[in-house]
Amino acid sequence: MSSYLWALAVAGAVVVAAACLEVLRSRRARLQAVGTTAEPASEPYILYFTGDGCTVCRTHQEPALARLGTVRIDKVDAIAERTLADRFHVYTLPTTVVMSPEGRALNVNYGYATAPKLERQLAEARGARIQAATA
Amino acid sequence: MSTQVVDHSALKVNQTGIVTTVLVAFIGSAFYRPMLVLIPLLAVVLLLGTFVPRLALFKQFYFKVLKPRGIVRPRPVPDRPEPHNFAQGLGGVFLVVASAFLLPVPVIGLALALLVAVLAFVNLAFGYCLGCQIYFQLGKRGLIRA
Repeated sequence: MSSYLWALAVAGAVVVAAACLEVLRSRRARLQAVGTTAEPASEPYILYFTGDGCTVCRTHQEPALARLGTVRIDKVDAIAERTLADRFHVYTLPTTVVMSPEGRALNVNYGYATAPKLERQLAEARGARIQAATA
Repeated sequence: MSTQVVDHSALKVNQTGIVTTVLVAFIGSAFYRPMLVLIPLLAVVLLLGTFVPRLALFKQFYFKVLKPRGIVRPRPVPDRPEPHNFAQGLGGVFLVVASAFLLPVPVIGLALALLVAVLAFVNLAFGYCLGCQIYFQLGKRGLIRA
């Protein structure tokens, strides 16, 4: 019986360790990506990294992006555009990056990002822009 | 890299089958040791299903029984089957390794089998497919044609 408990403990420890590593990696990649530049635009926009093998992109992320309305969304194939994907440290799909009009990465979302989350980030990006203009 | 239509209900049934089999093997073998044989059997089922899709037991159960009787509704999604097949094959390989350890070092064998079940459950419940991500990363590095 003890081998069963040990097996549960080992599997649990591996899962917890993997979750911690994922959180650390995500934070590190997010910090590294902020400040990276891309093509400028007139309004904040979204870089959307996807790929043919990404199911969540089709079932969850694309419907969420469609709910954002008229926001500019630059769809990027992470495999075909490896250089750009590496610049944003894309290690999972989908990845969405909220960009300032000047081409600065403001928020990087690794994995599925909900429509309300993206709307909030876009609103913050627009707010920061208005503040900068009135200051 | 053509996109086809993949019935995601078949994938969900497959993941449910993996989780259920491992749990039955794990809990059942605590009371009746020979139940451990379910783990190598599951490894065979997953590997066979990877290389000969018409022999994928859980998927065939879905296509031949659950779908025609309306027990599970089909959910066709424009997708590629390769990452899912790769993930299934990876699960099969892990279960082969688990099977090799089951008798000499049961802790490792059982832990590996449980990890496969956890990953199948994560895919089933949250749609996160680790095997698909590994497939994508290998493709990104040019190690496989993704």
